[in-house]
Amino acid sequence: MELNNIKDAFDRVAKKQKLSCSKTQEVIEKLIEEIGKALETIKTSSQLDDRYVLTELKKKLQELAPLSQLEGTQKELNIALSKYTKVLEKSFNPDISKAYRNVEFDSQTVNQIIANHFYRQGLFDVGDCFISETEGSESAAAMKSIFQDMYEILEAMRSWNLEPALKWAAANSDKLKENGSDLQLKLHSLQFVELLRSGSRDEALKYARAFLAPFASNRVTEIQKLMACLVWARKLDSCPYPQLLSPSNWVLVAEELTRQFCNLVGQSYESPLSVTIGAGVQALPPLVKFMTVMAGKRQEWQSMKQLPVPVELDKEYQFHSIFVCPVSKEQSTEENPPMMMSCGHVLCRQSINKMSKNNTRTFKCPYCPSDIDASHCTQLYF
Amino acid sequence: MDTLPNGNAAAASPPQTTAPTNASTTPFPKLTQLTEALKLEHQFLRVPFEHYKKTSRANHRAVEKEVSSVISGVADVADSDNFSKDDAVNHLTSLVSRLQGLKRKLEEGSRTEHLQAQKCRARLNHLESADAENLSEWNNMRLKRILVDYMLRMSYYDTAQKLAESSNMQLIYMCQDLVDIDVFQEAKKVIDALQNKEVAPALAWCADNKSRLKKSKSKFEFQLRLQEFIELVRSENNLRAITYARKYLAPWGATHMKELQRVMATLAFKSNTECTTYKVLFEPKQWDYLVDQFKQEFCRLYGMTLEPLLNIYLQAGLSALNTPYCYEDDCTKEDPLSQESFRKLASPLPYSKQHHSKLVCYITKELMDTENPPQVLPNGYVYSTKALEEMAKKNNGKITCPRTGLVCNYSDLVKAYIS
Repeated sequence: MELNNIKDAFDRVAKKQKLSCSKTQEVIEKLIEEIGKALETIKTSSQLDDRYVLTELKKKLQELAPLSQLEGTQKELNIALSKYTKVLEKSFNPDISKAYRNVEFDSQTVNQIIANHFYRQGLFDVGDCFISETEGSESAAAMKSIFQDMYEILEAMRSWNLEPALKWAAANSDKLKENGSDLQLKLHSLQFVELLRSGSRDEALKYARAFLAPFASNRVTEIQKLMACLVWARKLDSCPYPQLLSPSNWVLVAEELTRQFCNLVGQSYESPLSVTIGAGVQALPPLVKFMTVMAGKRQEWQSMKQLPVPVELDKEYQFHSIFVCPVSKEQSTEENPPMMMSCGHVLCRQSINKMSKNNTRTFKCPYCPSDIDASHCTQLYF
Repeated sequence: MDTLPNGNAAAASPPQTTAPTNASTTPFPKLTQLTEALKLEHQFLRVPFEHYKKTSRANHRAVEKEVSSVISGVADVADSDNFSKDDAVNHLTSLVSRLQGLKRKLEEGSRTEHLQAQKCRARLNHLESADAENLSEWNNMRLKRILVDYMLRMSYYDTAQKLAESSNMQLIYMCQDLVDIDVFQEAKKVIDALQNKEVAPALAWCADNKSRLKKSKSKFEFQLRLQEFIELVRSENNLRAITYARKYLAPWGATHMKELQRVMATLAFKSNTECTTYKVLFEPKQWDYLVDQFKQEFCRLYGMTLEPLLNIYLQAGLSALNTPYCYEDDCTKEDPLSQESFRKLASPLPYSKQHHSKLVCYITKELMDTENPPQVLPNGYVYSTKALEEMAKKNNGKITCPRTGLVCNYSDLVKAYIS
């Protein structure tokens, strides 16, 4: 985003501020000086001159007009200040709450979502603090204990300790296999490489016999490569399989473990709060734009059953198949399902009915030259 | 941002021009998306700026006040007839020391201004730093900022502080610059007092921001005065109540006569009245109402949205994710709307709207596009080529429909064209 003009506008503000500040200092100095001078004269002179000195001082200060001296710089500062506000308003969406539908969110539900978010992100202190400040519910406690286990495993992995991870994987090996995950093998490989790295070839060999051998039946090539590393045991730098030894494997395996862990405890991999806010960031610009254009229709917005504008989200926010008929532009429903024509193009049933005059004649596919017989269309299930 | 020669973002996103499911394509979809997202950050820049402006104005006002009182101090002594030499010396000396005090105060004030200006700059830099490489980190920070904003508005100050500190070490100083904990310190004092049924700090706040409140036609001060009046009536201090009304309520008569009359009537009804019109005025929830009112005024003054940012983003996000399919039994748990709590929040919200088909493979949960086109089984069930190829490879070319159990050959499949 182009921020340079905004930065310039702010620099102007800061400059004027400095100017006004030094001007003020100067004026005050001057005042101090004048009064000081008068003070000296009074102290050293005779009683008779006092009145004269004071009247002179008064006159002098009036001439100095310190306040009107400040006015000029202050005015320039004010102009810069209000200009910056305007630049901000022009460059940004000044009010994103335009797209807000006036419904009260149940704050207890929101707080529960937030507490869960803190725990699943591993922010246990923040979560505890939040629960005690909001007198939060019990349900978050369950979340906490689940994710405490996970972060203990990950924490250990960060200090190159695979013990807890291996223990967890062993305890859940059946379920992992069911999900088609080879996490166990990956963990054992890491451990094997670690042993090699520490230089004890015998121990590595022993470890491989005990823990890698059971995977031999369907992962032969991988295990062969690992075993080949034994040859380079004391000079791993020149090993032909550097990717097996890369420390980035730890990060990848930790990610896989997180994914599997979340899956087995019935949680999503991403925090649902992060996902929703991320979707919100993408949805707000078109919504705010629409509300700016349709300023008069706020009332309708409050009761709409469907968003008034299409909102395109990135693919990480696509969880369901949405079919939009390219002819009628309507989303498919159970009553109006998607139908594939003999040429492979897909329309909604209502569109096909319309084009075939209720199945009384053939029609041309809108996308290719094929002649379509409505009775030869297949309903699709996504 | 569009003009930056930054091709990385575009390269990172999948080649969308060939996808039939995505007809509308811009040359740098990721970058325009980021620009649009940054445009939502008005409050982020506005709040520290308002804070800065406020400090600067307050400093200037202090100078004006002090300087003019020094000048009139000189005039006083010059114009008065009888004063001794000592009087004059003492008087002038005290004026000088006052000016010196002002000078010190000014230096301190400009230090504060400088810090606040730095904060404004830090935020500009933070917005500028967002690019394709650090996007996920930046997004995490945004979520954190949104959450801190929520905590502050809901008066969960401890959590706000803890959350701001929870970033990794190098980022701490930065995160503090990116959230408005300092601004809310001011609100906290007023809110705490109102919760203890004290209006003085709130009134002082109104006096501080008099001109701006007047500009926005705020009646918050009037509401505070009404409450004070009610408290006098509650304690049966009727005479004082009347004096109070003359002094503080009467000036609002021109604009708020109805409310004024209603409150004055409580003198007749007293606090134990059963008459509902007046009974509510004595209820403790009036104080909660004042707190809410204050929060609104406070947010308006600093250019914040009246709703917490979290609610605004949550609502937009839930509306965009909300489809009838979210409520089916087989909804994936990656969808936030598979959870009861999210469904509850989404229930008063509209469904999303889409102009283009988006097909997600039932098996892999991946998007089906030209890269990974949808294939149809003889029974009309659709899966992605990737999933079906893998299945065929593992089972000698046989495909089993995971939803109906139908078995067929890979060669029986037909490609579907979705436009």
